[in-house]
Amino acid sequence: MLNQKSSEFVSVPQAKTSGLQILRYQFMQIWQVLAALLLIYAVFFILSPAFRNVDTLLSIFSQGAILAVLACGTTIVLISGGLDLSVGSIFAVVGVVVGVLIKEYELAYPLAILGALVAGTCLGALNGVIQVVTKVPAFIVTLGGLTAYKGLAELLGSGKDLSRFPEGFQMLGSGYLMPICIMLGAALLTGLFLTKTRLGNHAFAIGGNEEVARLSGVNVARSRIYYYMIGGMFAATAAILEVSKLNFAQSSRGVSYELFAIAAVVIGGTSLFGGRGSVGKTIIGMLIMQTIIVGLAYLGVGTSFQRIAIGTIIVLAVYWDVWRRQTR
Amino acid sequence: MEHLNSAKIILKARGLSKHYGGVVALDAADFDLREGEVLAIVGDNGAGKSTLVKALTGAVPKTSGVISIDGHETRIDNPTDAKNAGIETVYQDLALVNEISITKNMFLGREIVKDNLFGKWFGALDFPTMDKKIKELFQKLDIRIADIYRDAEAFSGGQRQAVALAKTVMFGKRIAILDEPTAALGVRESKMAMDLVCSLKDHGLSVIMITHNMQHVLNHCDRVVVMRLGKVAAVCDVDEVDGDMLVGLITGTIEHKVG
Repeated sequence: MLNQKSSEFVSVPQAKTSGLQILRYQFMQIWQVLAALLLIYAVFFILSPAFRNVDTLLSIFSQGAILAVLACGTTIVLISGGLDLSVGSIFAVVGVVVGVLIKEYELAYPLAILGALVAGTCLGALNGVIQVVTKVPAFIVTLGGLTAYKGLAELLGSGKDLSRFPEGFQMLGSGYLMPICIMLGAALLTGLFLTKTRLGNHAFAIGGNEEVARLSGVNVARSRIYYYMIGGMFAATAAILEVSKLNFAQSSRGVSYELFAIAAVVIGGTSLFGGRGSVGKTIIGMLIMQTIIVGLAYLGVGTSFQRIAIGTIIVLAVYWDVWRRQTR
Repeated sequence: MEHLNSAKIILKARGLSKHYGGVVALDAADFDLREGEVLAIVGDNGAGKSTLVKALTGAVPKTSGVISIDGHETRIDNPTDAKNAGIETVYQDLALVNEISITKNMFLGREIVKDNLFGKWFGALDFPTMDKKIKELFQKLDIRIADIYRDAEAFSGGQRQAVALAKTVMFGKRIAILDEPTAALGVRESKMAMDLVCSLKDHGLSVIMITHNMQHVLNHCDRVVVMRLGKVAAVCDVDEVDGDMLVGLITGTIEHKVG
Protein backbone atom coordinates (compact mmCIF):
# COMPACT_ATOMS: atom_id res chain seq x y z
CA MET A 1 0.00 0.00 0.00
CA LEU A 2 2.77 2.42 0.92
CA ASN A 3 4.60 1.84 -2.35
CA GLN A 4 1.42 2.40 -4.27
CA LYS A 5 0.92 5.65 -2.43
CA SER A 6 4.30 7.07 -3.30
CA SER A 7 4.06 6.05 -6.94
CA GLU A 8 0.67 7.72 -7.29
CA PHE A 9 2.01 10.89 -5.80
CA VAL A 10 4.76 10.98 -8.40
CA SER A 11 2.14 11.65 -11.07
CA VAL A 12 1.27 14.97 -9.45
CA PRO A 13 2.32 17.66 -11.92
CA GLN A 14 5.22 19.71 -10.64
CA ALA A 15 4.92 23.46 -10.28
CA LYS A 16 7.34 24.29 -13.09
CA THR A 17 5.39 22.36 -15.73
CA SER A 18 1.96 23.43 -14.58
CA GLY A 19 1.88 26.52 -16.85
CA LEU A 20 2.28 24.39 -19.95
CA GLN A 21 -0.13 21.81 -18.62
CA ILE A 22 -2.76 24.43 -17.99
CA LEU A 23 -2.35 25.69 -21.57
CA ARG A 24 -2.73 22.16 -22.88
CA TYR A 25 -5.76 21.62 -20.67
CA GLN A 26 -7.36 24.82 -21.94
CA PHE A 27 -6.68 23.80 -25.54
CA MET A 28 -8.36 20.44 -24.88
CA GLN A 29 -11.39 22.38 -23.68
CA ILE A 30 -11.81 24.45 -26.85
CA TRP A 31 -10.38 22.41 -29.70
CA GLN A 32 -13.79 21.09 -30.77
CA VAL A 33 -15.37 24.53 -31.19
CA LEU A 34 -12.16 25.81 -32.75
CA ALA A 35 -12.26 22.95 -35.25
CA ALA A 36 -15.92 23.73 -35.99
CA LEU A 37 -15.00 27.37 -36.66
CA LEU A 38 -12.18 26.43 -39.04
CA LEU A 39 -14.40 23.92 -40.81
CA ILE A 40 -17.18 26.45 -41.35
CA TYR A 41 -14.66 29.02 -42.55
CA ALA A 42 -13.17 26.47 -44.95
CA VAL A 43 -16.58 25.61 -46.38
CA PHE A 44 -17.32 29.24 -47.28
CA PHE A 45 -13.75 29.66 -48.47
CA ILE A 46 -14.31 26.88 -51.01
CA LEU A 47 -17.86 27.87 -51.98
CA SER A 48 -17.40 31.59 -52.47
CA PRO A 49 -14.47 33.19 -54.32
CA ALA A 50 -15.40 36.63 -52.99
CA PHE A 51 -15.09 35.31 -49.43
CA ARG A 52 -11.39 34.58 -49.93
CA ASN A 53 -9.68 37.75 -48.78
CA VAL A 54 -8.26 39.35 -45.67
CA ASP A 55 -10.82 42.15 -45.61
CA THR A 56 -13.62 39.62 -45.22
CA LEU A 57 -11.76 37.95 -42.38
CA LEU A 58 -11.18 41.28 -40.67
CA SER A 59 -14.81 42.29 -41.11
CA ILE A 60 -15.92 39.04 -39.47
CA PHE A 61 -13.83 39.99 -36.45
CA SER A 62 -14.80 43.64 -36.31
CA GLN A 63 -18.52 43.04 -36.88
CA GLY A 64 -18.49 40.45 -34.16
CA ALA A 65 -16.50 42.63 -31.78
CA ILE A 66 -19.41 44.63 -30.36
CA LEU A 67 -21.53 41.57 -29.66
CA ALA A 68 -18.47 39.72 -28.36
CA VAL A 69 -17.86 42.41 -25.74
CA LEU A 70 -21.52 42.14 -24.71
CA ALA A 71 -21.21 38.35 -24.63
CA CYS A 72 -18.25 38.50 -22.20
CA GLY A 73 -20.69 39.67 -19.53
CA THR A 74 -23.27 37.11 -20.60
CA THR A 75 -20.64 34.37 -20.20
CA ILE A 76 -20.04 35.29 -16.56
CA VAL A 77 -23.77 35.52 -15.78
CA LEU A 78 -24.54 32.16 -17.45
CA ILE A 79 -21.62 30.39 -15.74
CA SER A 80 -22.98 31.57 -12.38
CA GLY A 81 -26.30 29.92 -13.24
CA GLY A 82 -28.00 33.25 -13.92
CA LEU A 83 -29.62 34.70 -17.02
CA ASP A 84 -29.77 38.28 -18.24
CA LEU A 85 -32.29 39.03 -20.97
CA SER A 86 -32.10 42.76 -20.36
CA VAL A 87 -28.58 43.48 -21.67
CA GLY A 88 -29.94 44.47 -25.10
CA SER A 89 -32.07 47.14 -23.44
CA ILE A 90 -29.23 48.22 -21.13
CA PHE A 91 -27.30 48.58 -24.39
CA ALA A 92 -30.03 50.91 -25.73
CA VAL A 93 -30.13 53.01 -22.54
CA VAL A 94 -26.35 53.39 -22.39
CA GLY A 95 -26.15 54.34 -26.09
CA VAL A 96 -28.62 57.15 -25.48
CA VAL A 97 -26.93 58.16 -22.23
CA VAL A 98 -23.52 58.55 -23.84
CA GLY A 99 -25.12 60.51 -26.70
CA VAL A 100 -27.01 62.82 -24.37
CA LEU A 101 -23.97 63.37 -22.14
CA ILE A 102 -21.81 64.41 -25.08
CA LYS A 103 -24.35 66.34 -27.18
CA GLU A 104 -26.68 67.88 -24.58
CA TYR A 105 -24.52 68.21 -21.50
CA GLU A 106 -21.43 68.81 -23.63
CA LEU A 107 -19.26 66.66 -21.40
CA ALA A 108 -15.77 65.73 -22.53
CA TYR A 109 -16.14 62.30 -24.12
CA PRO A 110 -13.96 60.40 -21.60
CA LEU A 111 -16.27 61.65 -18.85
CA ALA A 112 -19.32 60.71 -20.89
CA ILE A 113 -17.89 57.22 -21.34
CA LEU A 114 -17.34 56.95 -17.62
CA GLY A 115 -20.90 58.11 -16.94
CA ALA A 116 -22.28 55.61 -19.44
CA LEU A 117 -20.30 52.74 -17.87
CA VAL A 118 -21.67 53.69 -14.46
CA ALA A 119 -25.23 53.79 -15.86
CA GLY A 120 -24.86 50.29 -17.36
CA THR A 121 -23.38 48.91 -14.15
CA CYS A 122 -26.22 50.39 -12.09
CA LEU A 123 -28.92 48.88 -14.32
CA GLY A 124 -27.17 45.50 -14.01
CA ALA A 125 -27.03 45.92 -10.24
CA LEU A 126 -30.76 46.64 -10.20
CA ASN A 127 -31.41 43.31 -11.96
CA GLY A 128 -29.31 41.49 -9.39
CA VAL A 129 -30.72 43.24 -6.34
CA ILE A 130 -34.33 42.63 -7.39
CA GLN A 131 -33.61 38.90 -7.85
CA VAL A 132 -31.79 38.54 -4.56
CA VAL A 133 -34.38 40.47 -2.56
CA THR A 134 -37.60 39.18 -4.14
CA LYS A 135 -36.38 35.67 -5.15
CA VAL A 136 -38.23 36.13 -8.45
CA PRO A 137 -36.45 33.96 -11.08
CA ALA A 138 -33.80 35.60 -13.28
CA PHE A 139 -35.85 34.92 -16.41
CA ILE A 140 -38.76 37.02 -15.19
CA VAL A 141 -36.76 39.82 -13.56
CA THR A 142 -34.61 40.37 -16.63
CA LEU A 143 -37.58 39.95 -18.98
CA GLY A 144 -39.12 42.82 -17.05
CA GLY A 145 -35.83 44.69 -17.42
CA LEU A 146 -35.86 44.02 -21.17
CA THR A 147 -39.12 45.96 -21.52
CA ALA A 148 -38.64 48.53 -18.78
CA TYR A 149 -35.12 49.59 -19.79
CA LYS A 150 -36.29 49.86 -23.40
CA GLY A 151 -38.93 52.34 -22.20
CA LEU A 152 -36.27 54.21 -20.24
CA ALA A 153 -34.09 54.48 -23.35
CA GLU A 154 -37.04 55.90 -25.32
CA LEU A 155 -37.80 58.46 -22.57
CA LEU A 156 -34.19 59.62 -22.52
CA GLY A 157 -33.64 59.68 -26.24
CA SER A 158 -36.92 60.62 -27.91
CA GLY A 159 -36.84 63.56 -30.29
CA LYS A 160 -33.15 64.21 -29.83
CA ASP A 161 -30.52 64.39 -32.52
CA LEU A 162 -27.68 62.39 -31.04
CA SER A 163 -25.14 62.22 -33.83
CA ARG A 164 -21.90 63.69 -35.18
CA PHE A 165 -19.65 63.03 -32.21
CA PRO A 166 -16.14 64.42 -31.60
CA GLU A 167 -13.36 62.78 -33.57
CA GLY A 168 -11.61 61.23 -30.60
CA PHE A 169 -14.82 59.44 -29.64
CA GLN A 170 -15.37 58.18 -33.19
CA MET A 171 -11.94 56.53 -33.12
CA LEU A 172 -13.07 53.88 -30.61
CA GLY A 173 -15.41 51.94 -32.82
CA SER A 174 -14.28 52.71 -36.35
CA GLY A 175 -12.02 50.66 -38.55
CA TYR A 176 -10.88 47.15 -37.74
CA LEU A 177 -8.12 47.62 -35.25
CA MET A 178 -9.77 49.37 -32.30
CA PRO A 179 -12.90 47.18 -32.06
CA ILE A 180 -10.80 44.03 -32.32
CA CYS A 181 -8.36 45.26 -29.67
CA ILE A 182 -11.21 46.21 -27.34
CA MET A 183 -12.83 42.81 -27.90
CA LEU A 184 -9.59 41.00 -27.10
CA GLY A 185 -9.03 43.23 -24.09
CA ALA A 186 -12.53 42.51 -22.77
CA ALA A 187 -12.02 38.78 -23.34
CA LEU A 188 -8.65 38.83 -21.59
CA LEU A 189 -10.06 40.66 -18.56
CA THR A 190 -13.03 38.28 -18.40
CA GLY A 191 -10.73 35.28 -18.64
CA LEU A 192 -8.48 36.56 -15.87
CA PHE A 193 -11.52 37.35 -13.74
CA LEU A 194 -13.02 33.88 -14.17
CA THR A 195 -9.86 31.86 -13.65
CA LYS A 196 -7.68 33.91 -11.33
CA THR A 197 -9.93 35.74 -8.88
CA ARG A 198 -12.00 34.65 -5.93
CA LEU A 199 -15.23 36.22 -7.18
CA GLY A 200 -14.72 34.67 -10.63
CA ASN A 201 -14.13 31.22 -9.18
CA HIS A 202 -17.26 31.53 -7.09
CA ALA A 203 -19.25 31.96 -10.32
CA PHE A 204 -18.43 28.35 -11.25
CA ALA A 205 -19.21 27.10 -7.74
CA ILE A 206 -22.54 28.95 -7.55
CA GLY A 207 -23.51 27.86 -11.06
CA GLY A 208 -22.45 24.29 -10.32
CA ASN A 209 -24.23 23.88 -7.00
CA GLU A 210 -25.59 26.97 -5.29
CA GLU A 211 -26.44 25.15 -2.05
CA VAL A 212 -22.95 23.70 -1.62
CA ALA A 213 -21.50 27.14 -2.29
CA ARG A 214 -23.80 28.67 0.34
CA LEU A 215 -22.97 25.99 2.92
CA SER A 216 -19.27 26.51 2.20
CA GLY A 217 -19.64 30.12 3.29
CA VAL A 218 -19.81 31.82 -0.12
CA ASN A 219 -21.99 34.94 -0.02
CA VAL A 220 -24.14 33.84 -2.94
CA ALA A 221 -26.47 36.84 -3.00
CA ARG A 222 -23.70 39.43 -3.05
CA SER A 223 -21.72 37.54 -5.67
CA ARG A 224 -24.75 37.30 -7.94
CA ILE A 225 -25.28 41.06 -7.78
CA TYR A 226 -21.65 41.57 -8.80
CA TYR A 227 -22.05 39.27 -11.81
CA TYR A 228 -25.06 41.23 -13.06
CA MET A 229 -23.15 44.47 -12.50
CA ILE A 230 -20.26 43.20 -14.60
CA GLY A 231 -22.77 42.08 -17.26
CA GLY A 232 -24.24 45.59 -17.29
CA MET A 233 -20.78 47.12 -17.57
CA PHE A 234 -19.89 45.00 -20.58
CA ALA A 235 -23.24 45.86 -22.18
CA ALA A 236 -22.35 49.52 -21.65
CA THR A 237 -18.90 49.04 -23.21
CA ALA A 238 -20.48 47.40 -26.25
CA ALA A 239 -23.02 50.21 -26.57
CA ILE A 240 -20.31 52.89 -26.42
CA LEU A 241 -18.42 51.03 -29.16
CA GLU A 242 -21.48 50.91 -31.39
CA VAL A 243 -22.42 54.57 -30.91
CA SER A 244 -18.85 55.45 -31.80
CA LYS A 245 -18.89 53.21 -34.86
CA LEU A 246 -22.25 54.43 -36.21
CA ASN A 247 -21.66 58.02 -35.14
CA PHE A 248 -25.22 58.27 -33.86
CA ALA A 249 -27.19 57.04 -30.85
CA GLN A 250 -30.77 55.81 -30.95
CA SER A 251 -33.05 54.18 -28.42
CA SER A 252 -34.01 51.55 -31.01
CA ARG A 253 -30.52 49.96 -31.05
CA GLY A 254 -29.70 46.75 -29.24
CA VAL A 255 -32.90 44.86 -30.08
CA SER A 256 -32.38 41.11 -29.53
CA TYR A 257 -28.66 41.59 -28.88
CA GLU A 258 -29.12 39.65 -25.63
CA LEU A 259 -30.22 36.67 -27.69
CA PHE A 260 -27.22 36.94 -30.01
CA ALA A 261 -24.95 37.15 -26.97
CA ILE A 262 -26.56 34.07 -25.39
CA ALA A 263 -26.31 32.32 -28.77
CA ALA A 264 -22.57 33.04 -28.98
CA VAL A 265 -22.01 31.77 -25.44
CA VAL A 266 -24.01 28.61 -26.09
CA ILE A 267 -22.50 27.89 -29.51
CA GLY A 268 -19.08 28.21 -27.87
CA GLY A 269 -20.05 25.43 -25.49
CA THR A 270 -20.59 27.24 -22.18
CA SER A 271 -23.34 25.41 -20.35
CA LEU A 272 -26.75 27.07 -20.09
CA PHE A 273 -27.13 25.13 -16.84
CA GLY A 274 -24.24 26.93 -15.16
CA GLY A 275 -20.96 25.84 -13.63
CA ARG A 276 -18.99 25.34 -16.83
CA GLY A 277 -17.63 27.46 -19.62
CA SER A 278 -15.01 29.96 -20.62
CA VAL A 279 -14.77 33.28 -22.37
CA GLY A 280 -12.49 31.81 -25.05
CA LYS A 281 -15.35 29.56 -26.10
CA THR A 282 -17.66 32.57 -26.27
CA ILE A 283 -15.34 34.47 -28.60
CA ILE A 284 -15.09 31.43 -30.87
CA GLY A 285 -18.86 31.00 -30.69
CA MET A 286 -19.31 34.61 -31.77
CA LEU A 287 -16.86 34.11 -34.66
CA ILE A 288 -18.74 31.00 -35.78
CA MET A 289 -21.97 33.00 -35.85
CA GLN A 290 -20.42 35.92 -37.73
CA THR A 291 -18.68 33.63 -40.22
CA ILE A 292 -22.01 32.02 -41.04
CA ILE A 293 -23.77 35.38 -41.38
CA VAL A 294 -21.04 36.89 -43.58
CA GLY A 295 -20.49 33.69 -45.54
CA LEU A 296 -24.18 33.23 -46.34
CA ALA A 297 -24.38 36.88 -47.38
CA TYR A 298 -21.51 36.33 -49.81
CA LEU A 299 -23.35 33.32 -51.21
CA GLY A 300 -26.37 35.57 -51.82
CA VAL A 301 -28.51 34.00 -49.12
CA GLY A 302 -30.99 36.51 -47.66
CA THR A 303 -31.17 37.61 -44.03
CA SER A 304 -34.28 35.51 -43.43
CA PHE A 305 -32.39 32.33 -44.21
CA GLN A 306 -29.43 33.55 -42.19
CA ARG A 307 -31.72 33.84 -39.17
CA ILE A 308 -33.09 30.36 -39.73
CA ALA A 309 -29.53 29.02 -39.92
CA ILE A 310 -28.45 30.77 -36.67
CA GLY A 311 -31.60 29.59 -34.90
CA THR A 312 -30.93 26.01 -35.94
CA ILE A 313 -27.34 26.19 -34.75
CA ILE A 314 -28.40 27.53 -31.34
CA VAL A 315 -30.72 24.57 -30.81
CA LEU A 316 -28.06 22.13 -32.00
CA ALA A 317 -25.45 23.66 -29.69
CA VAL A 318 -27.72 23.30 -26.65
CA TYR A 319 -28.62 19.79 -27.74
CA TRP A 320 -24.90 19.01 -27.77
CA ASP A 321 -24.61 20.35 -24.20
CA VAL A 322 -27.60 18.28 -23.04
CA TRP A 323 -26.26 15.18 -24.78
CA ARG A 324 -22.82 15.58 -23.18
CA ARG A 325 -24.42 15.92 -19.74
CA GLN A 326 -26.45 12.75 -20.19
CA THR A 327 -23.54 10.65 -21.39
CA ARG A 328 -21.09 11.91 -18.79
CA MET B 1 -20.10 6.37 31.65
CA GLU B 2 -18.11 7.83 34.52
CA HIS B 3 -14.81 7.87 32.66
CA LEU B 4 -16.10 10.32 30.08
CA ASN B 5 -18.10 12.40 32.51
CA SER B 6 -14.91 14.05 33.61
CA ALA B 7 -14.20 15.29 30.05
CA LYS B 8 -14.90 18.92 29.28
CA ILE B 9 -18.14 19.73 27.51
CA ILE B 10 -17.27 21.52 24.31
CA LEU B 11 -20.73 22.00 22.83
CA LYS B 12 -23.96 22.22 24.72
CA ALA B 13 -27.33 22.35 22.94
CA ARG B 14 -30.47 23.13 24.94
CA GLY B 15 -34.04 23.15 23.69
CA LEU B 16 -33.17 23.12 19.99
CA SER B 17 -36.38 23.26 17.95
CA LYS B 18 -37.18 23.62 14.30
CA HIS B 19 -40.70 24.06 12.97
CA TYR B 20 -41.55 23.98 9.28
CA GLY B 21 -44.92 25.69 9.29
CA GLY B 22 -47.01 23.43 11.52
CA VAL B 23 -44.59 20.52 11.27
CA VAL B 24 -42.27 20.05 14.23
CA ALA B 25 -39.13 18.52 12.74
CA LEU B 26 -37.06 18.97 15.88
CA ASP B 27 -38.63 19.25 19.31
CA ALA B 28 -36.61 20.73 22.18
CA ALA B 29 -33.50 18.62 21.70
CA ASP B 30 -30.87 18.69 24.47
CA PHE B 31 -27.45 17.10 24.25
CA ASP B 32 -23.78 17.69 25.02
CA LEU B 33 -20.65 16.99 23.04
CA ARG B 34 -17.58 16.23 25.13
CA GLU B 35 -14.09 17.14 24.11
CA GLY B 36 -12.34 14.48 22.01
CA GLU B 37 -15.28 12.11 21.66
CA VAL B 38 -17.07 10.69 18.66
CA LEU B 39 -20.78 11.13 19.28
CA ALA B 40 -23.16 9.16 17.08
CA ILE B 41 -26.65 10.36 16.24
CA VAL B 42 -28.97 7.54 15.21
CA GLY B 43 -32.65 7.36 14.44
CA ASP B 44 -35.17 6.32 11.84
CA ASN B 45 -35.82 8.30 8.67
CA GLY B 46 -37.62 11.49 9.64
CA ALA B 47 -36.55 11.26 13.27
CA GLY B 48 -34.93 14.69 13.05
CA LYS B 49 -31.25 13.80 12.76
CA SER B 50 -30.55 15.92 9.71
CA THR B 51 -32.62 18.79 11.05
CA LEU B 52 -30.65 18.67 14.29
CA VAL B 53 -27.40 18.89 12.37
CA LYS B 54 -28.69 21.66 10.14
CA ALA B 55 -29.81 23.69 13.14
CA LEU B 56 -26.39 23.22 14.76
CA THR B 57 -24.54 24.34 11.66
CA GLY B 58 -26.74 27.24 10.66
CA ALA B 59 -27.77 25.58 7.39
CA VAL B 60 -31.37 26.28 8.43
CA PRO B 61 -32.23 28.92 11.03
CA LYS B 62 -33.50 27.23 14.21
CA THR B 63 -36.90 28.18 15.64
CA SER B 64 -35.64 28.25 19.22
CA GLY B 65 -32.92 26.93 21.46
CA VAL B 66 -29.50 27.84 22.74
CA ILE B 67 -26.09 26.58 21.63
CA SER B 68 -23.09 27.10 23.91
CA ILE B 69 -19.53 26.43 22.87
CA ASP B 70 -16.93 26.19 25.64
CA GLY B 71 -19.57 27.49 28.03
CA HIS B 72 -20.27 30.63 26.02
CA GLU B 73 -23.63 31.10 24.38
CA THR B 74 -22.94 31.30 20.63
CA ARG B 75 -25.24 32.63 17.92
CA ILE B 76 -25.27 30.34 14.89
CA ASP B 77 -27.65 31.70 12.28
CA ASN B 78 -25.81 30.81 9.08
CA PRO B 79 -22.98 28.53 7.87
CA THR B 80 -20.39 31.28 8.31
CA ASP B 81 -21.29 31.70 12.01
CA ALA B 82 -20.73 27.97 12.49
CA LYS B 83 -17.36 28.07 10.73
CA ASN B 84 -16.30 31.04 12.85
CA ALA B 85 -17.24 29.04 15.94
CA GLY B 86 -14.89 26.27 14.78
CA ILE B 87 -17.56 23.88 13.48
CA GLU B 88 -16.89 22.13 10.16
CA THR B 89 -19.65 20.12 8.53
CA VAL B 90 -19.74 17.42 5.86
CA TYR B 91 -23.22 17.24 4.40
CA GLN B 92 -24.40 14.02 2.84
CA ASP B 93 -25.05 15.12 -0.74
CA LEU B 94 -23.79 18.66 -0.46
CA ALA B 95 -20.11 18.25 0.21
CA LEU B 96 -18.48 19.15 -3.12
CA VAL B 97 -19.32 21.08 -6.28
CA ASN B 98 -18.94 18.66 -9.20
CA GLU B 99 -17.94 21.31 -11.69
CA ILE B 100 -14.83 22.65 -9.95
CA SER B 101 -11.44 21.14 -9.10
CA ILE B 102 -10.46 19.47 -5.85
CA THR B 103 -8.29 22.46 -4.94
CA LYS B 104 -11.14 24.89 -5.52
CA ASN B 105 -13.54 22.67 -3.56
CA MET B 106 -11.19 22.37 -0.61
CA PHE B 107 -10.82 26.13 -0.33
CA LEU B 108 -14.31 27.14 -1.47
CA GLY B 109 -15.36 30.17 0.55
CA ARG B 110 -11.94 30.37 2.24
CA GLU B 111 -9.59 30.86 -0.68
CA ILE B 112 -6.04 32.05 -0.09
CA VAL B 113 -5.35 35.24 -2.03
CA LYS B 114 -1.99 36.44 -3.23
CA ASP B 115 0.00 38.44 -0.75
CA ASN B 116 0.24 41.49 -2.99
CA LEU B 117 -1.91 44.30 -4.41
CA PHE B 118 -3.64 41.97 -6.89
CA GLY B 119 -4.68 39.78 -4.01
CA LYS B 120 -5.84 42.65 -1.90
CA TRP B 121 -7.75 44.57 -4.57
CA PHE B 122 -8.95 41.92 -7.00
CA GLY B 123 -8.97 38.79 -4.86
CA ALA B 124 -6.29 37.19 -7.07
CA LEU B 125 -5.94 33.58 -5.91
CA ASP B 126 -2.72 32.00 -4.77
CA PHE B 127 -3.09 28.55 -6.35
CA PRO B 128 0.50 27.32 -5.70
CA THR B 129 0.08 27.82 -1.94
CA MET B 130 -3.34 26.17 -1.90
CA ASP B 131 -2.10 23.21 -3.97
CA LYS B 132 0.88 22.78 -1.67
CA LYS B 133 -1.25 22.79 1.48
CA ILE B 134 -3.61 20.20 0.02
CA LYS B 135 -0.81 17.88 -1.10
CA GLU B 136 0.80 18.05 2.32
CA LEU B 137 -2.50 17.32 4.03
CA PHE B 138 -3.39 14.44 1.69
CA GLN B 139 0.00 12.90 2.28
CA LYS B 140 -0.44 13.23 6.05
CA LEU B 141 -3.92 11.67 5.95
CA ASP B 142 -2.82 9.01 3.44
CA ILE B 143 -5.42 10.13 0.88
CA ARG B 144 -4.41 8.90 -2.54
CA ILE B 145 -5.60 11.58 -4.91
CA ALA B 146 -2.89 12.73 -7.25
CA ASP B 147 -4.69 14.96 -9.70
CA ILE B 148 -6.15 17.71 -7.56
CA TYR B 149 -6.63 19.91 -10.65
CA ARG B 150 -9.41 17.72 -12.01
CA ASP B 151 -13.08 18.46 -11.48
CA ALA B 152 -14.60 16.75 -8.45
CA GLU B 153 -17.05 14.72 -10.53
CA ALA B 154 -14.16 12.69 -11.94
CA PHE B 155 -13.63 10.99 -8.57
CA SER B 156 -15.28 8.02 -6.88
CA GLY B 157 -17.65 8.33 -3.93
CA GLY B 158 -14.91 7.24 -1.54
CA GLN B 159 -12.41 9.73 -2.88
CA ARG B 160 -14.96 12.53 -2.71
CA GLN B 161 -15.78 11.65 0.89
CA ALA B 162 -12.08 11.59 1.69
CA VAL B 163 -11.73 15.08 0.24
CA ALA B 164 -14.72 16.32 2.25
CA LEU B 165 -13.28 14.84 5.45
CA ALA B 166 -9.86 16.31 4.68
CA LYS B 167 -11.57 19.69 4.46
CA THR B 168 -12.79 19.32 8.03
CA VAL B 169 -9.23 18.54 9.14
CA MET B 170 -7.87 21.56 7.30
CA PHE B 171 -10.38 24.05 8.63
CA GLY B 172 -12.13 22.44 11.60
CA LYS B 173 -10.84 24.10 14.72
CA ARG B 174 -12.99 22.34 17.32
CA ILE B 175 -15.90 20.30 16.06
CA ALA B 176 -16.58 18.16 12.99
CA ILE B 177 -20.17 17.28 12.12
CA LEU B 178 -20.62 14.46 9.63
CA ASP B 179 -23.94 13.57 7.99
CA GLU B 180 -23.76 9.87 7.08
CA PRO B 181 -20.12 9.82 6.00
CA THR B 182 -20.39 6.27 4.68
CA ALA B 183 -23.75 6.47 2.91
CA ALA B 184 -23.50 5.28 -0.70
CA LEU B 185 -19.98 3.92 -0.21
CA GLY B 186 -18.74 0.40 -0.87
CA VAL B 187 -17.28 -1.79 1.86
CA ARG B 188 -13.65 -0.91 1.25
CA GLU B 189 -14.43 2.79 0.78
CA SER B 190 -16.55 2.74 3.93
CA LYS B 191 -13.65 1.42 5.93
CA MET B 192 -11.36 4.06 4.50
CA ALA B 193 -13.84 6.80 5.39
CA MET B 194 -14.29 5.46 8.94
CA ASP B 195 -10.50 5.35 9.42
CA LEU B 196 -10.44 9.00 8.45
CA VAL B 197 -13.30 9.78 10.85
CA CYS B 198 -11.35 8.16 13.67
CA SER B 199 -8.25 10.11 12.74
CA LEU B 200 -10.21 13.37 13.10
CA LYS B 201 -9.94 12.73 16.85
CA ASP B 202 -6.15 12.67 16.60
CA HIS B 203 -6.28 16.05 14.93
CA GLY B 204 -7.95 17.52 18.00
CA LEU B 205 -11.53 17.48 16.72
CA SER B 206 -14.62 16.36 18.56
CA VAL B 207 -16.96 14.59 16.19
CA ILE B 208 -20.74 14.40 15.81
CA MET B 209 -21.71 11.75 13.27
CA ILE B 210 -25.10 10.80 11.91
CA THR B 211 -25.15 7.18 10.83
CA HIS B 212 -27.44 4.26 10.03
CA ASN B 213 -24.69 1.73 10.51
CA MET B 214 -24.95 0.16 14.00
CA GLN B 215 -21.59 -1.53 13.57
CA HIS B 216 -19.92 1.84 13.12
CA VAL B 217 -21.67 3.14 16.24
CA LEU B 218 -20.58 0.21 18.36
CA ASN B 219 -17.02 0.01 17.04
CA HIS B 220 -16.00 3.61 16.52
CA CYS B 221 -18.14 5.91 18.67
CA ASP B 222 -17.96 6.83 22.34
CA ARG B 223 -21.56 7.82 22.97
CA VAL B 224 -24.79 7.72 21.04
CA VAL B 225 -27.80 10.04 20.84
CA VAL B 226 -30.99 8.27 19.76
CA MET B 227 -33.57 10.44 18.01
CA ARG B 228 -37.23 9.51 17.65
CA LEU B 229 -40.07 11.62 16.24
CA GLY B 230 -38.08 14.83 16.48
CA LYS B 231 -37.05 14.28 20.09
CA VAL B 232 -33.93 13.03 21.77
CA ALA B 233 -35.17 9.64 23.00
CA ALA B 234 -31.98 8.52 24.73
CA VAL B 235 -28.34 9.39 25.23
CA CYS B 236 -26.11 6.49 26.19
CA ASP B 237 -22.58 5.31 26.49
CA VAL B 238 -21.71 2.90 23.69
CA ASP B 239 -20.26 0.46 26.28
CA GLU B 240 -23.69 0.12 27.85
CA VAL B 241 -25.66 -0.82 24.74
CA ASP B 242 -25.71 -3.47 22.05
CA GLY B 243 -27.17 -3.55 18.57
CA ASP B 244 -30.55 -4.91 19.60
CA MET B 245 -30.93 -2.33 22.32
CA LEU B 246 -30.14 0.50 19.87
CA VAL B 247 -32.68 -0.82 17.39
CA GLY B 248 -35.22 -1.02 20.21
CA LEU B 249 -34.56 2.57 21.18
CA ILE B 250 -34.76 3.76 17.58
CA THR B 251 -38.03 2.02 16.83
CA GLY B 252 -39.56 2.78 20.24
CA THR B 253 -39.97 -0.76 21.54
CA ILE B 254 -37.63 0.23 24.35
CA GLU B 255 -39.04 3.42 25.83
CA HIS B 256 -36.72 4.64 28.50
CA LYS B 257 -33.35 6.13 28.66
CA VAL B 258 -30.57 3.75 29.56
CA GLY B 259 -28.13 4.43 32.36
